[in-house]
Amino acid sequence: MTDNASFLGFGLGLRTEHYHEILENKPKVDWFEALSENYMVPGGKPLYFLDRIRADYPMVMHGVSLSIGSTAPVNLDYLKELKQLADRIQPAWISDHLCWTGIHGQNMHDLLPMPYTEEAAKHVAERVKIVQDYLGRQILLENVSSYASYVDSTMTEWEFIQQVSDAADCLLLLDVNNIYVSSFNHQFDAKAFIDGVPKQRVRQIHLAGHHNHGDYIIDTHDAPVIDPVWDLYAHAIQRFGAVSTMIERDDDIPALGVLVEELDIARQLAAKHTQDFSQRNAA
Amino acid sequence: MRQLAQLQQHFQRYLMDDSQAVDSHALDNNWIVDDTKVGATKRLGIYHNAYRMRIIEALASPYGGLKKLLGPVQFHAIALGYLNRYPSTYPNLRWYGSKMADYLQTVLPHNLVATEMATFEWAIAAAFDAPDVTVVTLQDLAEIPPAQWGELTFVFQPGLQLLALQTNAVPTWKALNDDEAPSQPDHQQHLHWLIWRQQMDANFRSLDNTEATLLAQACDGLSFGALCEKLFETVGEDATLQAAQYLAGWLETEMIADIHR
Repeated sequence: MTDNASFLGFGLGLRTEHYHEILENKPKVDWFEALSENYMVPGGKPLYFLDRIRADYPMVMHGVSLSIGSTAPVNLDYLKELKQLADRIQPAWISDHLCWTGIHGQNMHDLLPMPYTEEAAKHVAERVKIVQDYLGRQILLENVSSYASYVDSTMTEWEFIQQVSDAADCLLLLDVNNIYVSSFNHQFDAKAFIDGVPKQRVRQIHLAGHHNHGDYIIDTHDAPVIDPVWDLYAHAIQRFGAVSTMIERDDDIPALGVLVEELDIARQLAAKHTQDFSQRNAA
Repeated sequence: MRQLAQLQQHFQRYLMDDSQAVDSHALDNNWIVDDTKVGATKRLGIYHNAYRMRIIEALASPYGGLKKLLGPVQFHAIALGYLNRYPSTYPNLRWYGSKMADYLQTVLPHNLVATEMATFEWAIAAAFDAPDVTVVTLQDLAEIPPAQWGELTFVFQPGLQLLALQTNAVPTWKALNDDEAPSQPDHQQHLHWLIWRQQMDANFRSLDNTEATLLAQACDGLSFGALCEKLFETVGEDATLQAAQYLAGWLETEMIADIHR
């Protein structure tokens, strides 16, 4: 399967607090990421604004309920609704998380980590193929922040991502903040993670903030991006070249202008480090 | 090595079990990596806590009034109890919480205001994202020859709901929403409340018995002529005029999605 998605530039998560300002002021944002479940409703205001903003901006879809790693059957009802939304807004791509959210028909509404095993990789890859066949396109899988890891894991998280994405021929959404959070929580080298994922599959980068509790970090996505995460982003761009990048703020949402300014940091870093990337690759 | 399914069963059982909390003796520690920095107990505890906090936050969204009415401490307890009684089976959190009114009837049977407020708030949420329809206007009706009006039946917007409540739950909700002090609970208010969507916002108003009855009959598919006949039984000769006035009001407030002849 091939993918023709191009570099979209620098984007933000679409948030209800910003609807009016986006339509009235057309801010300096290249694209928006719509949270799929927010728009998987029968009608009303969310879809009204989604349609109008989509008319002015490219969009991608980002979900939390695919539960790609679950041992419960793939939820075809959910896939049907997801496809309907995709038919409506024609996103550049669709993403969800490399995790599971529940079994036996229950939903824990959390992005629960996978064991990094051959069995789990094979299982996820088979399900990704089902999803991609149904949707008629490759999907992006995002690495989650995690707080626990399994005794049964036989490989690193990035080796697991490599196995899953190669077997499924899917793409990747690299959340650089989540890499930082997980590296802190599990004491691994965050740069090794970035260096270890298959670079040709990375289509999108998330940047976000978190809450450091001293012994561990909780991924809250409710704060500005911190310097170590910016450093990791720079490292990622030096490896990957230009990747569609966005700031993901889920809580304590500030004014749109604040996020646009933060996004400009990403633009500047990317401009600097894609220059390095281009020079290195031209040599 | 455990199978993936076993690990997931173990993890989910732990998350859903309220009695376990974070107790290292209750946990089978040989499936999660333990360490001296944080420890398996605390690591799993993060997920255990997050599961509950996320659901409480999700319930506070449609039930903001209920949360203000009960106060955060009691709402927190109610939400946890609801989660235990009705674990989520929904991919989308939007739909979680539909049974809150039923649940409150069992756990707070004397707090009728709370139960009715939950019913009201869920109806408001349903109106907010009900399917989109084009609406019929007064102008559209005016283009139909009056001789045909008797046979007309009406299709109402999907977000429209009629509630018969016995308490002052709705005025209480409004006061709390406006950050004003609500009145004392009144269990004898007995009003009909109409909830619908207009200009993309959920709206509500009380109806007198006459309009509530007429609207329910219209929703059931009675023709305009039949509605007038029914209304005649209560109001006499003014029935047709009154029915037309009600109908005009419904059209002006975007309640009607279609007219069938």
